[in-house]
Amino acid sequence: MCGIVGYTGPREAIEILLDALKRLEYRGYDSAGLAVLENDIQIAKDRGEISQLEKSVPKLRGTVGIGHTRWATCGKPSKENAHPFLDCSGNFALVHNGIIENHRELRRELEAEGHLFTSETDTEVLVHLIEKYYDGNIEKAVRESLKRVKGTYAIAVIEKGSREIIAARKENPLVVGLGVGENFVASDVTALLNYTNKVIYVMDGEYAVISPIGVRLYDSSGNVISRTPSLVTWTIEDAQRGGFEHYMLKEIFEQPASIHNSLLGTLDGIEEGELLQNVNFDSVKIIGCGSSYHAAMVGKYIIESLAHIPVTLELSSEYRYSHGTRESPLVILISQSGETADTLAAAREARKRGCRTLAITNVVGSTITREVDEVFYTKAGPEIGVAATKSYITQLIALYLVGMRIGYVQRTLSHELLRSMKDQLRIMPRQVNAVLDNKEIVEEASDLLVNARNVFFIGRNINYPTMLEGALKLKEISYIHAEGYAAGELKHGPLALLDENTPVVASCIRDHTYEKMMSNISEVAARDSPVLAIGYEGDRDLMAIVDRFIGIPKVNPLFSPVPLTVVLQLLAYYTARKRGCPIDKPRNLAKSVTVE
Amino acid sequence: MQSEEDTGLKAVILAAGEGMRLRPFTYSRPKPMLPIGNRPILEYIVDALVSNDIKDIIMVVGYKKEKIMSYFQDGARFDARISYAFQEKQIGTAHALIAAKHFLDDNFVVLAGDNLIDSRIVSDLLHNGRIPSILVTESDIPSKYGVVQLEGNKITSIVEKPEVMVGNIISTGVYLFNHEILNAIEIEMCAGALGITNAIQKMLGKQDIYAVKTDGKWIDVVYPWDIIKVNAMALSSEGQTISGVVEDNVMIKGPVVIGAGTRIRSGTYINGPVLIGEGCEIGPHVSIFPTTSIGNNVRIDPYTYVSNSVIMNNVCIGSHSHLSHTVIDEGVMIASSLSCVCGQAFAKIDDDFFKLDNIGAMIGEDTIIGSHVAIAPGTIVGAGCRISDGVRLSGNLENKCVVV
Repeated sequence: MCGIVGYTGPREAIEILLDALKRLEYRGYDSAGLAVLENDIQIAKDRGEISQLEKSVPKLRGTVGIGHTRWATCGKPSKENAHPFLDCSGNFALVHNGIIENHRELRRELEAEGHLFTSETDTEVLVHLIEKYYDGNIEKAVRESLKRVKGTYAIAVIEKGSREIIAARKENPLVVGLGVGENFVASDVTALLNYTNKVIYVMDGEYAVISPIGVRLYDSSGNVISRTPSLVTWTIEDAQRGGFEHYMLKEIFEQPASIHNSLLGTLDGIEEGELLQNVNFDSVKIIGCGSSYHAAMVGKYIIESLAHIPVTLELSSEYRYSHGTRESPLVILISQSGETADTLAAAREARKRGCRTLAITNVVGSTITREVDEVFYTKAGPEIGVAATKSYITQLIALYLVGMRIGYVQRTLSHELLRSMKDQLRIMPRQVNAVLDNKEIVEEASDLLVNARNVFFIGRNINYPTMLEGALKLKEISYIHAEGYAAGELKHGPLALLDENTPVVASCIRDHTYEKMMSNISEVAARDSPVLAIGYEGDRDLMAIVDRFIGIPKVNPLFSPVPLTVVLQLLAYYTARKRGCPIDKPRNLAKSVTVE
Repeated sequence: MQSEEDTGLKAVILAAGEGMRLRPFTYSRPKPMLPIGNRPILEYIVDALVSNDIKDIIMVVGYKKEKIMSYFQDGARFDARISYAFQEKQIGTAHALIAAKHFLDDNFVVLAGDNLIDSRIVSDLLHNGRIPSILVTESDIPSKYGVVQLEGNKITSIVEKPEVMVGNIISTGVYLFNHEILNAIEIEMCAGALGITNAIQKMLGKQDIYAVKTDGKWIDVVYPWDIIKVNAMALSSEGQTISGVVEDNVMIKGPVVIGAGTRIRSGTYINGPVLIGEGCEIGPHVSIFPTTSIGNNVRIDPYTYVSNSVIMNNVCIGSHSHLSHTVIDEGVMIASSLSCVCGQAFAKIDDDFFKLDNIGAMIGEDTIIGSHVAIAPGTIVGAGCRISDGVRLSGNLENKCVVV
């Protein structure tokens, strides 16, 4: 996963490139670089975040340029492996997001022909291929080169003596921004919003030729394509921190509004059937990665309890290599960005197996929306913090709506029951608000975890996956080793690891598993592990047996994952903050994972 | 990226306070975020500044500051540039202003974040141009404010909440200051004057401070029932904007705004001025009379009557309810047949008694109410209460009460 940008116009390119790159940092930030064309192509690169590059970059003049922020996949993070790359003659510079699978053989071939390589990356073969095929026509050279490569890419190329940028895409996002007397290209709209809200999305297999006065779009054989520009309706301020210390905290506090937005107009549609018009399946399979997979696990409980049909789960990266079976479920694919490579591949696999597909995603027009039959958009707004917060919560909301829709059509949910479920969703922003209002209690409780080396998260039933998500949040931002377990599984192994230095976070709400949870907590406490329990507010029985207690509002247990997750987000946030971790950009992680 | 018509003048909005007299409606929100006409009071202030080309705004936030920061963010949605300064303990307005000191150079405007104003207020202050100056207005209850005495356009004295009547001209808390006055305020603060009025009172002998009179709209929301009155003033008196789905046989009269994604079901009668937010489900057969604001994601069931009331976001109201002169905060769930009839009442806030002629009920956030509950006029129900079926309520209920 990387981010690319390009600019051509009357202004000094360097400032625009740096600004745009900063907005793409969520795509990776282990090294960065840029190329600016005046008479010659000049290159500046550095290891580390964009701010590092900003400090070290010399004052390069020039009004055409490309830039790159990298997240290492092939070749370690280093200055040498940072993009852009030049060919041997120094006539072309190129940036790339994606993976060239056959780069080794191409490299051997090119090296045999005398090309000199300066890095360990897969990308560098591209620029040498262009040099090889160049006969005075850059477009043709790019087309020929791309025919040779296997893999995925979004690239931008500049040529000495030309004010045009050539950009092409296959399976990695690419968008062209239209200005007045200037034009842009980037991996993502976020990078361009400071300059324009008029964009053209480049599709798979297409390439664009971008000059200061215009943009031409072609298919892979060079035929002209015409496409009307789209207007982006959200603005850059949606992506800024506004007084909050971290994006993550800002995004946690935006959750009531995100839930609210996701519900607007959708509650009404449950009876009317805008979502899942036909319910012609008798089982459901939900697929996702990371937090989205945890949302899928919660979805299993939701749909099974509301609609009484079997739900199976798959990790995207496993499903695509699994054997097909005779079932024909509705396949629900969950991806915040809609660009997650494994989930995209799973979507294609599901279609190949003849299944109906529904995507739950946060990004309008993302690749997955073109790979599936139906889309539900969560309206979480742009999420910048690497740890999923509001996108996860709105995914849950989407799954409640799906469960309610299927249940309504299958008549497992009466009109009356459906109405009370809808009321539960209507007040959901309030339940989250109630948790946020008690943030000080969570902040204080995080003392229990700050100095731990290992933390266990336990829960049962619908809150078992919630605790897995809590463990994931903690490990990704605080770097504390955390594991989630179904509480009933403790005595089948993990209990051996508990001692007075291993805190346990337990969810214990008053549902049909309450008594069992209470005895699990007692078991843990008997091993001297400090216990932090989350239960319904005012639960004195629970408070009596634990070290710390955090209350959530007394919601219907089916809806308890929402407020509970918010507690766990805050818990991870405050723990990481007390440990001084870089919360918005944890080491080794990138926001959306577009590599497999 | 400064626009051309930008004045370059900055404004400080003091929005750190809680608004205790408005409880329970400030249980989880600061007073500046109280919705009037479905928009927070603070948004009216930002709009008044922006329409006078003051776009650099510093908000001093404290109590429940996240509510303000998540709503306004960096201000671009409001065509402003908003920064935040923090006052962790709300010990006085002068102290709050000093929290914003490092954002300020030269001249700047200071406003209170909890008074609803129109753009006239700001333009009157700017056109006067004398510095330092205080915007003043006449008040019926001067004893709640800083009362000023004038000689020409100069202020001779300012007394905070006087116990004996000294006049009816009050400070609106809207000021035009320059940077030097910050130093003066800091010195007075060291001497223990933590409010801006105290600091000004102490400065009066040493320098001239001017008064600017205004006829612009300056409304203070002090008590819960003021919400109804101020909401009525804020709703537009003309035009209809109907989004969402309005089914057949719905009567819509007068100025009515209905938001996107809202469904108004058959047989409903709406007589404006009425404002209905987004994503609501209203009806069938609901009657809504002037002057009423209904927030977003609200459900109102059949045969319910709503008149001159404010219903905030995420509220569910069951069938056969009667709500008049009533304020219902976010997330309240009402099973069915709630009666909040308006009438004469005595209310008590802190140690003050009020005789109110026309008042219904004031219901705090997230309260859950069973069916067939009757709430007497003037009753204040706290936040997060649980009221069982068939109960009669009156007086003041604490937060998180359980009534069986």
